[in-house]
Amino acid sequence: MVPNPVVSAERELPIDFSALESVSDNLAAAALALARRFAAGATMWCVSPSWPAHGRHVAVEFVHPVIMGKRALPAIFVDDDDLLASLRLLARPGDIVVALGPASDETIASLLRRTDAWGLTSVCIGAGPHPPTSSADHLLWVDGVDSDIAGSSGGYVLLYHLLWELVHVVFEHPGLLAEPAACTDEVCITCSDEGRVVEVVSVLEDDTAVVLAGGKAETIDTTLVGRPGPGDLLLVHAGTAISSLEGRV
Amino acid sequence: MTAEPTNFLYPFIDSEERDSESLLVDLAASARAKMAQSRRLQLATLKEWEPVIAALGADMASRFAAGGRLYTFGNGGSATDAEMTAQMFRHPIGGRPLPAWPLVDDRAVLTALANDVGFELVFSRQLIAHARSGDMAMGLSTSGNSENVMKAFAEAKHRGLLTIGLAGYAGGAMANNDTVDFCLVVHSDSVHRIQESQDALVFELWSVVQRNLMAQSTPNGREGSFQ
Repeated sequence: MVPNPVVSAERELPIDFSALESVSDNLAAAALALARRFAAGATMWCVSPSWPAHGRHVAVEFVHPVIMGKRALPAIFVDDDDLLASLRLLARPGDIVVALGPASDETIASLLRRTDAWGLTSVCIGAGPHPPTSSADHLLWVDGVDSDIAGSSGGYVLLYHLLWELVHVVFEHPGLLAEPAACTDEVCITCSDEGRVVEVVSVLEDDTAVVLAGGKAETIDTTLVGRPGPGDLLLVHAGTAISSLEGRV
Repeated sequence: MTAEPTNFLYPFIDSEERDSESLLVDLAASARAKMAQSRRLQLATLKEWEPVIAALGADMASRFAAGGRLYTFGNGGSATDAEMTAQMFRHPIGGRPLPAWPLVDDRAVLTALANDVGFELVFSRQLIAHARSGDMAMGLSTSGNSENVMKAFAEAKHRGLLTIGLAGYAGGAMANNDTVDFCLVVHSDSVHRIQESQDALVFELWSVVQRNLMAQSTPNGREGSFQ
């Protein structure tokens, strides 16, 4: 079976651009959030286990802008056998993670389950079968396009080029760079109604554990979930772990 | 979205801006406009270079079939495109895996050459070590002027390699250059839009190479079906 030549007079591109266009609103929201994080001093960590070239490309876009006069922003590509362990050490609360790859990428999935606990803002770029919508703060997902096609024919490149371009547009609006006021009350009706995902740092003797929640260390009660281990993810409600989400890594 | 020309009269306006909703609408519209621009440029670029890619793809397929290797190189985003190109040929989504290697991958080699002989020689020196006639050298540069890419083409040509250049703007030094056998220019002055169209060109080239190899393969060949 001989493949068809890609180009002919009426031929479309390998990427369905209407699928790309549907990402536009999410791109805008991601750009606003990232510009705000950068303005507050964030570093952007780029990961792409299946396409390291794309991870490097994202980082170089931000560090060395193609347009003279645009500010250099701290972005670092991390390529490591133990990505989670490295990012747990490197990333500070308030930092950004940009993960690029298919929904089947277990490393990315495991990382994105932890970004809330670590206090990171997450962006996930991908194509193909859709991941859970809650998997990242900003999901730039091209539905109906094969991830390998998006990776090799310029689809992903277009998305992160636009992410960079839009972040710098936001910088032209200094009045919008301040983060909206967050809930900081000790007792907050909104927050206390739902469980939060935390990561276990260390387990104490008296059915308690020190965990990371939103990038801050807290001590919680673990009576209901047995004895967790460091790296475990727990769902916590009102200072008590109510279920275990994932085994330790 | 750009600052209004009269903003200097009201220096407080931008810093007082508080409504992000209208900015979000503008950003999304800008994204859609740039996507449309990228799509139009990709289609025009593929159409313009279709006959060249047909000839180049056939030449490359013959060289691969005879045991040739493809070396790819570039700087910055083009370095990552070179890396991606080599990955695409080596670990294809369909068809036959082909020997392709990026000359941007080894930090020891790159820093040794840059430190000892100069950054303009980081690719050509690697070709001196690795390349044989029958191999292929693909360089990417949006300006078409990267000195280390041009020096690599000169070395590659000298050693009997097929040389393939991807450029933007009007082609820069790559255009009408004796050391570049095939020069594919993306006619744009936006680095980002150029790279996106270069990716489309490389993907197209890869598929034409695969098509040529399949046409050459025996009916019971091991290549199997495409995709």
